[in-house]
Parts: sequence; C-alpha cells; structure tokens
Amino acid sequence: MSPAERRTPPHEVVRGTLDLLILKALSLEAMHGWAISQRLEQLSDEALQVGQGSLYPALQRLEEKGWIDSEWRSTDQNRRAKYYELTPAGRRALGAESEQWRRYVEMVDLILRTT
Amino acid sequence: MGWTKRWKKRLRALVHKDAVERELDEELAFHLEMATREKLRAGMTAEEARRQARIEFGGVERFKEEVRDARGLAWVSGMSLDFRLGARMLVKYPGLTLVGTLAITFAIWIGIGTFEFLSQVVFPTLPFEQGGRVVAIRSWDAERSRMRAAGLHDFAAWRGELRSVRELGAYRAVERNLITGDGRGEPIGVAEITASGFGVTRVPALLGRTLTAEDEAPGAPPVVVIGHDVWQRRFAGDPGMLGRTVLLGRQRATVVGVMPEGFGFPVAQNVWTPLRLDPLGYARGEEPRVEVFGRLAPGVSLDEAQAELAALGRRTSADFAATHRHLRPRVMPYARSVLSLPLGLSVGILSLNGFVIILLVLVCGNVALLMFARAATREGEIVVRSALGASRRRIVAQMFAEALVLSALAGVAGLAAASFGLRWAMDSLIAELMDGARLPFWFHSSLSPASIVYAIVLTVLAALIAGVVPALKMTGTGLQGRLRESGAGGGGLRFGGLWTAVIVTQVAVTVVFPLITYFVQKDARQIEAQKDGFAAGQYLAARLEMDREPPDPAGDTTRAAYLARIEDTRARLERRLLEEPTVAGVTFASNIPRRYHGWNQIEMDGGAVVPLDTARGHRVGAAHIAPDYFEVLGRRVLSGRGFYSSDVESGARVVIVNERFVDVVLGGKNPVGRRVRYVAGEGAASEEKERPWYEIVGVAPDLGMTSGYGVGGLYHPVPADGLHADYLVVGVRGEPEEFAPALQRLAAGVDPTLRLHDILPLDEVEASELEFYAFWIRITALLTLVVLVLSWAGIYAVMSFTVSRRTREIGIRVAMGADARRVVFAIFRRPLTQVALGVTAGAAVILLLRTGLSDPGHGPSADEVAALIGYAAVMFAVCLLACVVPTRRALGVEVTEALRVE
Repeated sequence: MSPAERRTPPHEVVRGTLDLLILKALSLEAMHGWAISQRLEQLSDEALQVGQGSLYPALQRLEEKGWIDSEWRSTDQNRRAKYYELTPAGRRALGAESEQWRRYVEMVDLILRTT
Repeated sequence: MGWTKRWKKRLRALVHKDAVERELDEELAFHLEMATREKLRAGMTAEEARRQARIEFGGVERFKEEVRDARGLAWVSGMSLDFRLGARMLVKYPGLTLVGTLAITFAIWIGIGTFEFLSQVVFPTLPFEQGGRVVAIRSWDAERSRMRAAGLHDFAAWRGELRSVRELGAYRAVERNLITGDGRGEPIGVAEITASGFGVTRVPALLGRTLTAEDEAPGAPPVVVIGHDVWQRRFAGDPGMLGRTVLLGRQRATVVGVMPEGFGFPVAQNVWTPLRLDPLGYARGEEPRVEVFGRLAPGVSLDEAQAELAALGRRTSADFAATHRHLRPRVMPYARSVLSLPLGLSVGILSLNGFVIILLVLVCGNVALLMFARAATREGEIVVRSALGASRRRIVAQMFAEALVLSALAGVAGLAAASFGLRWAMDSLIAELMDGARLPFWFHSSLSPASIVYAIVLTVLAALIAGVVPALKMTGTGLQGRLRESGAGGGGLRFGGLWTAVIVTQVAVTVVFPLITYFVQKDARQIEAQKDGFAAGQYLAARLEMDREPPDPAGDTTRAAYLARIEDTRARLERRLLEEPTVAGVTFASNIPRRYHGWNQIEMDGGAVVPLDTARGHRVGAAHIAPDYFEVLGRRVLSGRGFYSSDVESGARVVIVNERFVDVVLGGKNPVGRRVRYVAGEGAASEEKERPWYEIVGVAPDLGMTSGYGVGGLYHPVPADGLHADYLVVGVRGEPEEFAPALQRLAAGVDPTLRLHDILPLDEVEASELEFYAFWIRITALLTLVVLVLSWAGIYAVMSFTVSRRTREIGIRVAMGADARRVVFAIFRRPLTQVALGVTAGAAVILLLRTGLSDPGHGPSADEVAALIGYAAVMFAVCLLACVVPTRRALGVEVTEALRVE
C-alpha cells in the first residue's frame, strides 16, 4: 500500500465520521479550527488527513445542531481565533455516537471475519 | 447551547451578514496562516509554504459556500438573493416576463373566479351577524322521497313549542304586479313574510321601519317594505318614499320602509308584505305551504335542534296520521333549504376546479418551456456554480425563486382581474344564463379570504411548475459531463419528447380555438341573417301570467275558475287593445317565432316519409296558436286551410305543418289529409293509446321554430279553455318599443293582477341568444390570444435555443459552401414537423367536431373546409415566422465567430 493510499480513506467514510472525530477532539478542551485539524492528524498518527477545509462546514453543522458552541478568544500568541467547545448536548451526543460507531465497526468486522 | 442562543446566532447570520462573513474570512485566514507558519518551520520557502498550505486546505470558496449552506437560516438569505436575482431577470428578459406574466395571470384569474363562485354555490354563507345559525325547517316526505315546505298548521305548532330554534318565521314567495303612479304594471317577486323575517337577519331598514307583528293582524292597514333596487328603479330613489302608496296587484299598500342595497332575504325578493294567513281558516292538509326559518337558540347545536324537532314530528305523525304519518320535519342551515345540493353533486361542482387547475398546469408548462430555454442559455453559469459547490437543491431553489417572482406578479394581477371579473360574471354571465332571474342574495362578487389563500396556492403551484420542472431537468443527469460539452460550444441540453408534445398540442389548440370561434361567429351570423318570414319589426310580444287568487276572497278558487278568468281577461285585453289606434292586430299563441319550439319525435300514419339517417326519427317543433295567428302576422296559409274557431271549440285533432316540415318529413309531397302523431318529447304521452293522431289540414310558411336555420314544425289550435295561449302578440303601427309602456298600462287597467313578462319586439327574440354567442366568442377569442402568444413565444424560444446550440455547426457548414436552404432545413426539420403535426391534429379535431356535433345535413360546408385549409396555412406561416429571426441569425454566423465559440 502506497503512502498516498494509506492516508486517503474513502471520502464517504470520512464525511460520516468527521463529526464524531471533531466531537472527540473537543471533548478535552476548547480549540480553534487549526488546532482541531492538528489534533485529528495527531490522534490518528497522521494516518487520517482530512481535507482541512471540510472541517469548517462540519463545525458549522455541529454548531447548528447545538452540539458545540463557539466564541472568539485570544490565542497564546495573542491572536484572535474562533474557539469551539462541546456543549452538554454535544457530550451526550459524543457518547451515543461513539457507542453506535463501535457497534457498527464490530458488526462489519464480524462480517468480514466470517465470510 | 440553548435554543435561544442558537436562534440569536441564526438571526445574526441573517441580519449582520457582512460581519459574519468577515468572521468566516478571518477564521479561514487564521487557519491558512497557521498552516503556512508550520511549513516555514519545516524549511519551505515562503511561497512554497503558502502554496502547500492552500493545497492541503482545499478550495476556500467552495468551503465558504458549504459553511453558508450549513447555517440555520441559510435558505432565507439565499432566497432573498434569489428573489432579487429573479426581479432582475424580469427586467433583463422583458419578452419572457410579458408572455409569462400574461399567461399565468390569465390562468390564475380564471382559477380564482371559478373557485370563488363554486365555493359560494357549495358553501353558502349568509351575510348576517352569525348567519351560520340561521336555519330552515322543512318536511321530508318519506312517501315521495323529497323535501317539501311545511304546512301552515305545522308552522303554528312549531312556533308555539320549539325551544331550540328561536325567532321562528315563515314566508311565501309570490309574484305580483307592482303598479306605481304612472299606472304601469311590472311583475315583481314579493315575499309575504312574518315580521320575524327581518329580526332573524339582524338587518335594519335603510328608511322607515321593517314589518312588525301588528302588521300581520287581519284588520291592520296594508303596508309594504321595498328593496333598494325597486326604490331606485321605480321611484328614482325618492327620499320622501315613506307614506307613498303602491298597488301590488289588486292590493293597495303604504310603503313603510326601504331596505338597504343587497338585502334580498329570503332569496332574491325586493318587496315584502306581511304574511296574513290564519291556520284556523284551513283544514289540516289543505292549508297553504310556507317556508319556515329561524335562528338556533344560543348554545344549541343543529343536532340538538333536530332531536327536539324530530320528537315533535313523531307526536304530530301520531296525532294526525292521515296527513302527517309520512312527514318528518328537518332542520337545516338556511341556504341549504333554497339551494339543496346532494353530496355527490357538491363534490362534482367542486371538482370543476380541477379543470381550471389543468388549465393552469398547461399554461405553466408553457412558461416552463420558456424558462427552460432561458436557463439553457445560462447553462454555463449553472454548471460553474455547481462546480463551486452549490448543491442541486440550491440551484433548483434559485430557479424556483425566479419563477415565483414572475408568478407572484401574475398572482397579484390575477387577483385584481378576478375581483373585477367576478363582478362582471355575476352581473352579465349569470343574468344571461338565468334569463334575467336573480341569484340568491348571499352570492356576492367580492373575493373571500379562502379565495385569496387559494390564489397564493395557485401562485406557488405555478412557480413550482414553471421553475422547478425546468431546474430539475437542467440539473438532472450528468451535469459534470456537461461542463465539458458547454465548454466545447456543443449542445449539452436537448428539448425532449415532453416539450415536443407540448408544442404539438399547443399548435393544435391555436388552430382549433380560432376556428371554433369562427364557426360560432358564423352560426351567429346565420341567426342574424335569418329572414323572419314576416314583418317582425312591427310586433310586440309579452308572456302573460295572472294571480291565482280570485278578486273576491270568498270566490271560486278552483283551477277551472282560474282558467276561465284568464280566458275572460285575455278577451277583454284583446278588445281594449284593438280600441287603440296604434294597434293593428292582436293574437295569442303558446310560443313566438324564433324561440325554441321543442324537439318532439313524430311519426307519420302509414310511414312513407323521407328516409332518415338517424335512428331517432324526425324531430319537430310545436306550438299552439289562435286561429287568427297567421293573419295577424301578415301571412296566410300556403295550401289547405287555416284554423277555424270551430276547431278551437270542438277540440278537433287538426294541425297545420310548416313548409320545412313538408320538405324534411315528406320530401315535398302534399301533406294535407295525412296524419301525424308524437312518439317522444314534450308533446308525447307514454301510453300507446294516449298518442292520438292529428290530421294535417294546411301548410303554413316558415316563421322560425328556433333561432337559427329552419326546422319542421306543427301548429295546433289553442284549446277552448285558453290553456297554452301564454304569449300575447300585438301588431303595432310605429315603433313597437314605444308601445311597451302603453301596453303595461292598458294591461294593468284591464286587470291589475295580469302580469306581462319579457316584453320585447318580435325582431329581438333572438337577441339574447346572439348575446350569448357574442359572450362565447369573446371568451374563446381571449383564450385563443393567450394560447397563440404562448405557443408563438414557445416556438421562438425553442428555435433560438436550437440555433444558439448549433452556431458552430452552422458556421462551419456555411463556410464549407453548404447550400443555405439545406442548412436551414437541417436545423428546422424538427420544429417544422412539430408545427405541421400540430396544424394537422388541430384541423382533424375541427373536422371531427364539425361533423360529429352537427345535425345530419349540416356538416362542414365547402366554404368551411376552405376556411379550415386557409386558416391552417396561415397558422403554419405564423408559426414559421417565429423561426425567421433565429434563422437569419444562424445564416449570418461568421466562421470566425463560430470557431471562437470553442
């Protein structure tokens, strides 16, 4: 498997799971968009490189759902940036979505093993 | 995040759009800056770092668009932009705006007008305070399975006992001669009504007072309340109206009140007198019938009232089994007692709206065609937008918004036209259809809120068809693939089979409608040109009626006595008229020339008639005439004899036939001495033995037994009892119209209860029918114009579209030296075929209609066929005209230009 293939999972899978990954990334602390993208790369050991731009529509969607909230703050370098944080509803959603994802993976895995 | 905060953010994105956009820019810029810094740290050059950061980020504009789409109220701001764009499109494409708006306006106008009228028919609302609680009580006759008015005794009983219905009243609709100071009598609808009739409506008098309970007392001075219409028309709105006296037939009464305009309770009456009927004066079962009405008591439902009434009814049925065992009183909403529609019929009437919606769909389908052609010229724009991340929904929404701007304009115009059109329809059309009768008072010509909602629904429906259908087709399949095609200057979009069908149908309709109009016009001309067969301009005719009640209240009320009284009055009127120097002659008949004389099937004794080409047998008109009928009309019997007074007195079964009868039924052979009888139609009885034979004694000239071409007909002598002699015909020296007021005066002088209806000169009998024709012609002409403009614009749009699609091909072909004619033919083969198909289909429909609907022997004539062919040719040429501009443009294409398109 070439590095390029390893690093670009099928687009649809990313789109479906991106929301979940963002919620996970935000579960520890509030972050701005750039930090989230860095975090996702880091968490996946650079195996997963999301088209960085697609992060922002996803953030907007999550905010619209009420799962995250946003606010303009100063960074450590004293730059203005938009920070996102999980809302209580978002935390609940993260739990439910993770559970669902695990079950889905187990199911697919089971099928792949037995057939 | 609470929902309030979320809504605040949504609204902020909508209201402070610029600030939110700046924040989005800042956020993305921050991301790119951070990414660039990271690359710099990794040792890239500044330019390389920026480039790499951008590549990893992806298309900035595309993601911005996606973020905007993900905002909660994105569609609102999107739509407002779309609406502004739509408004700009209106100005940019004035042709489409004009044609589209006109067409949709027309459809919405017809739609609302129809909806409003049908709703008023099916869901009548009384224009009174709490009009929905006004009810009527009638009796269901279980033996005959029909509703009937209640007897006077029932009314008295209900008035005494019913608790759930208050203000119980009753009326009897009668017709009376209204005779004013000038002595002229005019038949007018009168309601003999209880005083509560006014209370129940809650409408006060405009002048004076309404009727009171005291007015109903037997000895009370006779009073009358008149309507606004009568007040204006007969008394010129005299402010001193109260206290004046009028004659209602034989009854002199004092005017005590004038009702406001539009008040016509109980149905469409304009004069009200007290109902003075004493139940004690009649035996049960023989009393006069009255219509009963009232108001539901406060808090009582219709069902509760019905329960109380039913209990009362059961008791009456038991107490008076002889007259009431089969009668079940029913309470119902008031309007339904006047205009009672079974459920099936109501649904049927409402479903007429469906036809109008089909019209709207057809019209909007056309506008969709135009919108599609326009959208096709903007295909590049749409493909690029889609590539930039606009979703299909977004593009469809944009085209919907554009169409909605157009249809909203049409909706407003349609509403305005409908409120005008409804007044016009109520006034002229209904009056024409109902032969001068008035609609019940609750019909009104203003638009109800429901109609306005309906107009909005139609407007949105129109926009959906005209905007969304083309948009879906545009964005449907392989939009990506078309990016290449449109870039290459080739034709990506095609007009499919649906559009072909639309165009063909359209052209067919433009052929059919004007030709129908032409044929209708021709029939009208024929009626107009029809010779009267006598000097019709010198005669005045009127239909006679007389009050049934004898002059002396204690007099003979039998039918025989009534007929004798009519006969006597008729004779006195004739004598009185003949004393006038301007009167040349007077006669009576059951019908007058040029009116419809019925359509009775007959058979001849011994057969031997002209063979028939239909199984229905010969059908002829029939009339009863006084013996001097032909003589007064200035004509004489052509062969055989006329009627003698002895025919009338002896009741001899003799008839006179007209010339047309001799031609059609007997092939011109001498009919005198032959026998004829009715088989079916108004003149026929169902029993074989009750179909008597009539001996033909003479042949009369054709005087017209319908408005148009001659039909055969039979004349019977009026019977001795004067039955059937409904029409009075007066020969006048001078202008017949000028004699009309004198006739009204003379008739009222002979007997104030003798009513003259439909007074008109005999040469204007067919005028009302001609007016109807003219009305029909106006409607079809308007419809034709709309369809013609639509199809013309459609063909033009499709042609322009085709040419612009094939500019390159045409240019190269012409440059290579191809024959211009062949190029033109190659391009226009398809539209030519469509127009040809449409014209042929239309012509076929016309021929079928003309052949199928006409009576035998009246199929399309040679000149009609010529008109058809000529018109088809003209239509063909007109449709081709729509191709001229695009063709010239195509042939003018320069090679360089054609290649540049690439």
